[in-house]
Amino acid sequence: MTCHFNCIIPPHLLEKLLRSDDSEVRQAALDTLMTTSRLRGERGVRASFVGSAAAPGGGRRTVFDCKHSTSLPSAVFARSEDGPESVDVSANRAFDGLGATRDFYKAVFNRDSIDGRGMRLTAFVHYDKRYNNAFWDGHQMVFGDGDGKMFSDFTGSVDVIGHELAHGVTENTAGLEYHNQSGALNESMSDVFGSLVKQWSLKQSADEADWLIGPEIFTPGIDADALRSMKAPGHAYDNDLFGKDPQPDNMENYIKLPDNEMGDFGGVHFNSGIPNKAFYLTAVRVGGFAWEAPGLIWYESLKASHAETQFQEFANTTYRKAAELFGDDSAEQLAVLAAWQDVGIQISGILAGVARARSLAADRSGGTGGENGLATVSQQIGALAAQVTGLAKDVTALKSK
Amino acid sequence: MKVTWGAYGGQAAVIRLGLPPKVLDTDALSETEAVELDRLVAAVAPAAGEERPGRARDAMSYTITVEDGGRSTTLTRSDATMSPAFAALLGWLEEHFARQ
Repeated sequence: MTCHFNCIIPPHLLEKLLRSDDSEVRQAALDTLMTTSRLRGERGVRASFVGSAAAPGGGRRTVFDCKHSTSLPSAVFARSEDGPESVDVSANRAFDGLGATRDFYKAVFNRDSIDGRGMRLTAFVHYDKRYNNAFWDGHQMVFGDGDGKMFSDFTGSVDVIGHELAHGVTENTAGLEYHNQSGALNESMSDVFGSLVKQWSLKQSADEADWLIGPEIFTPGIDADALRSMKAPGHAYDNDLFGKDPQPDNMENYIKLPDNEMGDFGGVHFNSGIPNKAFYLTAVRVGGFAWEAPGLIWYESLKASHAETQFQEFANTTYRKAAELFGDDSAEQLAVLAAWQDVGIQISGILAGVARARSLAADRSGGTGGENGLATVSQQIGALAAQVTGLAKDVTALKSK
Repeated sequence: MKVTWGAYGGQAAVIRLGLPPKVLDTDALSETEAVELDRLVAAVAPAAGEERPGRARDAMSYTITVEDGGRSTTLTRSDATMSPAFAALLGWLEEHFARQ
């Protein structure tokens, strides 16, 4: 099949051929479209058709190679859903990371891809030269290789891939504005779900997880654990080159920065440490797998939020969602209450003293629901049973005297 | 002519914020390099100003300030909004810096 700049085959026929049962026909149609769209530089058209090569929707993946250019339209095809593995490690890693993230949302939240409607997932690798970053451009993902001095390939961390795609989920749900507190929440959502993608992939419990974002993207010579630590914001790195990680973990240390590029739009990558820590604390208090109760509470709260949601409103929403999902005064709700309190945010309508007493009570009883909570209750019942048995023996002994 | 440029934002925004901007003085360049830099600056100068990254998340932003003969022009673009001319200038500056 050949096609020149002004393609002789009508688009509707090409679309039909792309759905053919014959893989060779599909591939030929795909090649035609790739050539045409590359000539036209229409990456949107290209990604759309590539995804439809086998079936619409379902989060079908396509990876392109930028060949160290900053021009996405001139990127070349590297791997698609139906094709073989690429010889390029970065393309395969990006492809696998997209798949892990897509599968996570489907399995855990029954969400069909990023937009909930089977949105196709497109990624570009080898962007620019020595590019120390990965970003979501509003429609697709872009990965740099790193400069090889400080940073290595950004496809190396599945939590970074999950982080970027979560920006797409946020865009399609709350649409949190990307500045100040709503922007820090936007960043935090990406860290939360990025970390959960990794934990889910590795089947790690909250206790087993590293709670780090981007631990693999530094070169071996850099003394840093990761870009960010959700478990210990402010402690991801401390070295001569980067200085000390400045992320706060409490509202007392909230960082006010200008709402512009130089100020990280009000410190969105700084203050995300506060809600990050709240999620981590909730997860370890609840115990078990963090993508279950804590993840579900955060996901439902994200869906219930809006563009201008601030920390306080989001905290209140998580508390309300925890009650809706697990009941008033459930271990999950008390874990949420205590977590926000520990980062300096009191749930509205609950006096600080009451909140403290209730969270302490939750901590005394194990502070958890799920497997750990049941284990605690089971231990307490066992201890009581042993006491009853002992008392019964004593009574029997007294009666016999 | 003095050119100052810096990168902001992105996944490593927190780390990047602590790094100083880079500076290049054309007096330190060869004549060929200075002519090339002049050409690249001239190509982007009409588009001076600021463009926000829109819906892009974690995209990096770049500010290039050109000081020449008492005049100062600043351009700010992001990964999502930069023109080919801006990308060419930024690429040239980064290549030059990497060779230092």
